Amino acid sequence: MHWKLNPITARKLKRFRSIRRGYWSFLLLGGALLVSLFGELLMNDQALVVRHNNQWYFPAVADSYPIKWIYTPKEPRTGEFFGEAKDETGQPYSGLVNYRLLKKTWEAAETESWLIMPIIPHGPDGNTFSEGVGKLSAPSREHKHYLGTDGAGRDIAARMFYGFRIVMLFALGFTLMVFFIGSTVGCLMGYFGGKVDLLGLRLVEVWANIPFLYMVMIMVSVVPSKVGMSTRVLLLLFIMVVFSWTSMTYYMRASTYKEKARDYVAAAQLLGAGPLRIVFTHLLPNTVSTLVTFLPFTVAVAISSVTALDFLNFGLPEGTPSWGHQLRLGQEYIREKPWIIGSALTAIFLVLTMVTFIGEAVREAFDPKKFSTYE
Amino acid sequence: MKTHIKLFSTVLVAMALLAGCGKKKAPDGSKAGSSLGGTPAKLTKVELDSVEEVEAFYEADPEFFRIKTTADIPVDLKWEDGSSEKVFASPKAKRGGTLNTSTGDWPRTLRFVGPDASGSFRQYILDSNALILVESHPQSDGYYPSIAKRWAVGSDKRTVYFELDPDARYSDGKPIRVTDFFFHFYFMRSKHIRAPWYNDYYDNKKFKNITLYDSRTLSITYYKAKPDVVEKVSIRPVPEHHYEEIDEDFLKDYQWEFEPTAGPYEVLQENVNDGVAITLTRVPNWWADKKRFHKNRYNPDKIRVTVVREPAKVFELFRKGELDWHGLSLPEYWHEKLPNDSPEVKKGYIHKVKFFNEIPVPTWGMRINCSMPLLDNQNIRQGLHHAMNWALVNKEIFYGDFDRQQTMADGYGKRSHPTVRVREFSVEKAEAAFAKGGFTQRGADGILRNAAGKRLSFTISTGYKRFTDVLTVLKQQAAKAGLELNLEILELTAGWKKTNEKKHEISFGGLNNSVELYPRFFEPYHSYNAYEEEGDKLYNADGSLRAGITPKPDTNNATLTADRDLDKLIKQYREAEDLDEITRLGHELIQRLHDHAGYLPAWSKPWYRVGYWRWVKWPDDFNVKQSRDWDEYHVHWVDTAAKKETQAAKKSGKKFPPVIKTFDQYKLER
Repeated sequence: MHWKLNPITARKLKRFRSIRRGYWSFLLLGGALLVSLFGELLMNDQALVVRHNNQWYFPAVADSYPIKWIYTPKEPRTGEFFGEAKDETGQPYSGLVNYRLLKKTWEAAETESWLIMPIIPHGPDGNTFSEGVGKLSAPSREHKHYLGTDGAGRDIAARMFYGFRIVMLFALGFTLMVFFIGSTVGCLMGYFGGKVDLLGLRLVEVWANIPFLYMVMIMVSVVPSKVGMSTRVLLLLFIMVVFSWTSMTYYMRASTYKEKARDYVAAAQLLGAGPLRIVFTHLLPNTVSTLVTFLPFTVAVAISSVTALDFLNFGLPEGTPSWGHQLRLGQEYIREKPWIIGSALTAIFLVLTMVTFIGEAVREAFDPKKFSTYE
Repeated sequence: MKTHIKLFSTVLVAMALLAGCGKKKAPDGSKAGSSLGGTPAKLTKVELDSVEEVEAFYEADPEFFRIKTTADIPVDLKWEDGSSEKVFASPKAKRGGTLNTSTGDWPRTLRFVGPDASGSFRQYILDSNALILVESHPQSDGYYPSIAKRWAVGSDKRTVYFELDPDARYSDGKPIRVTDFFFHFYFMRSKHIRAPWYNDYYDNKKFKNITLYDSRTLSITYYKAKPDVVEKVSIRPVPEHHYEEIDEDFLKDYQWEFEPTAGPYEVLQENVNDGVAITLTRVPNWWADKKRFHKNRYNPDKIRVTVVREPAKVFELFRKGELDWHGLSLPEYWHEKLPNDSPEVKKGYIHKVKFFNEIPVPTWGMRINCSMPLLDNQNIRQGLHHAMNWALVNKEIFYGDFDRQQTMADGYGKRSHPTVRVREFSVEKAEAAFAKGGFTQRGADGILRNAAGKRLSFTISTGYKRFTDVLTVLKQQAAKAGLELNLEILELTAGWKKTNEKKHEISFGGLNNSVELYPRFFEPYHSYNAYEEEGDKLYNADGSLRAGITPKPDTNNATLTADRDLDKLIKQYREAEDLDEITRLGHELIQRLHDHAGYLPAWSKPWYRVGYWRWVKWPDDFNVKQSRDWDEYHVHWVDTAAKKETQAAKKSGKKFPPVIKTFDQYKLER
């Protein structure tokens, strides 16, 4: 089937593009998210390319999703593997290799072997104690810790960057789920009307009055300790969704009511279409403009909620790179190490501003008044 | 900040608190024979004037509560009065002034026992305030007189005789009577105080008898002849005239009622400013004021305890001079938040002190659950020891401030093992041990695998978020030895719950040890506290553990150590009555537990550090050997003139010589 944009949609997109502030924010943020998906190639303590004994190795590539799912090397890439006998502390080098040190060693010895490190040669979890950088050190160009190190000697820049990826994916996932549940329930209430609507709306009202943050905190704190870390992240997402989907239902219900009265719905009914088919293939596309305008703001809410929860220790599991944890650390050292809180606040400020700009632009572009026949 | 250590279980909490009482208390101490203030009260026959219910309680157990006459006191007793012990307070101390300090939460009660009574405020009104019969001397293994002016151990080595100081008074002016010690047992055994641990501790199992001879003399009999029997039976009097009897309204009636104390500070109702602060005032004409071991201590007239919930705010208040001191034991505080070049320190307003003490080392470390697959293998456990790089953690995370803990029983003087040393970080030794456990091949991720293809991977659970960085470094380093560690950082209560339910693989945390003469092994290492089953139901004929046994929850044996030979040794140890025998058996146990490798020692901190404003003054050698914290023995004083001078200097910018001192006279060389 030849895929072509609906002329109205095309006009909306054109209008969106013409709102420069929002459009550029969209490109920037979208671009950053896209780049962050391949973050392992930019910020990593694994080498991009290694040439050793006439063999090629690509450790960072093998470290990156989705390549990781397809290919992992069979043999361990230890120091021994690359011909290192002892590590910097004199321990036998049988653990995973430190490519930063390996690079220095090879360069000093002027060997045939060489390797290329990513732009920032630090991952979110490694430290550089052995290279003489302690914990909570100030930003340093020499060691490529551009935002300094945190309490465990990890690179703050890398943690902020991977934290960005996590929080964005989390927010997008959250938005999708909230929209799916909210609009389905809203549409169904609007479509069926009557008792379904009356009862459904009361339930939604009751549910919506449960305080969101408190509930999340309570639920997160009773998660049994045997639950693993990645499950915890999903669980947090799920709990947040469960307590936030309600706001969408009101809008969707109202616009469904409006659309339902139109002739094309009656026509579809006459042709024998079932309620689900009508809701999803006829009503939903026609109410989508209501949905879209809320999208960026829901993303913003998700980002700030998950950061706030992290800050309060009820969010992502400890150890996950996270802006909220960074904020907490920054607050602790606000007097002594102002750059920590500075970088966290700047990142949050920038991302939320861009999301808001996008939101404004979308709202304006999708404003029905702009496309009414009276224009 | 004081290091707070969450205790493993309620049982141990209570135990430590109780033993804490025994140790922490304070004052009185009269020189033997000298009685102050007036003629000593005449010795009279014991007369019980208890209410009916209490009297009936005593009569129901005539074996335990006994009344005799002065003539029944054995004549050959060797009375002691601590006169050979040295005084530890400073004669330079000045009385007066107000000490300003803070607590993290509004106390939920002023009771000493029962629900909510063991909060952090209790130290001000009980632990470092109340007096007991005889106090352990904080500089030696001896004792000094307190409520009892002299004491004697009977020929059975289980009974201790006490003669009360005739001056001893409660803060309400009423004299302390021998019958108050009868009442102590009635009180502690009452169900209405809702303190099951005390109910249990003071029942007939450990305490066999209390006998009153006359209006000043009593004896208490312990169940066993322990070398430290004097401190085991040194209890505090409970003022019968205040309670008369205990009924089901106890909690309600006494929630905000301060029990008259024999100690120096009392809480008067008008000084309780709800939710804001509690001010303790010195008892007027305190009876023990001039007693040899209580003189020059408890110097401030008032101690104002303000509630400040946010630690960051506490520190800011301290820097402003509104609080007089702040703990600096955490490396961040000593090195980052109040470094030697911070203005208040450089100008000499705030002094920084590091004091080496000598107390049993809290067991910060990892408890390896020996009931879990792979961890039941001693070689794997020993490999784990070698795979943990505590030296790097100390260097990078703790600024090199801490020492390595060597065994599970450090800081007990001669009772600690002289030669056993903790296993050091070594990739080679770890690999060798893991190889013995069947893990020989490294996978592509560098983690060891056994013949069945299983990865060498364990989860460390902890409730201590503030040590996440420590575990993160250990995890990175362990990977060098081919070991994968997963971190499970939980809320404090959830972390301990998991350990108490014995569902952890490796649990990281700290357990406080009470200041005692010799360590305990039964609670943390006997099979009774590991599994529900006992004897043949637990062990096969060859001594190995049976299949299908059930771990016992809520005990301190978090390593699930169960070994028939160890059980036998621990039994002998517990039954031993002679200190040399206890020492010998203790050393053997420490060696065996070291080989068993269920407990992985982390760090020890044989000192505390404090920052204080220059108007708080201390003895020349700062503090006593067995102090846990700087304020425990109340040897400090507030110099009001210096306070005025400092406050004026702050305005004018005048400087004083900076003071950053280390007192290492009690430092142990290992």
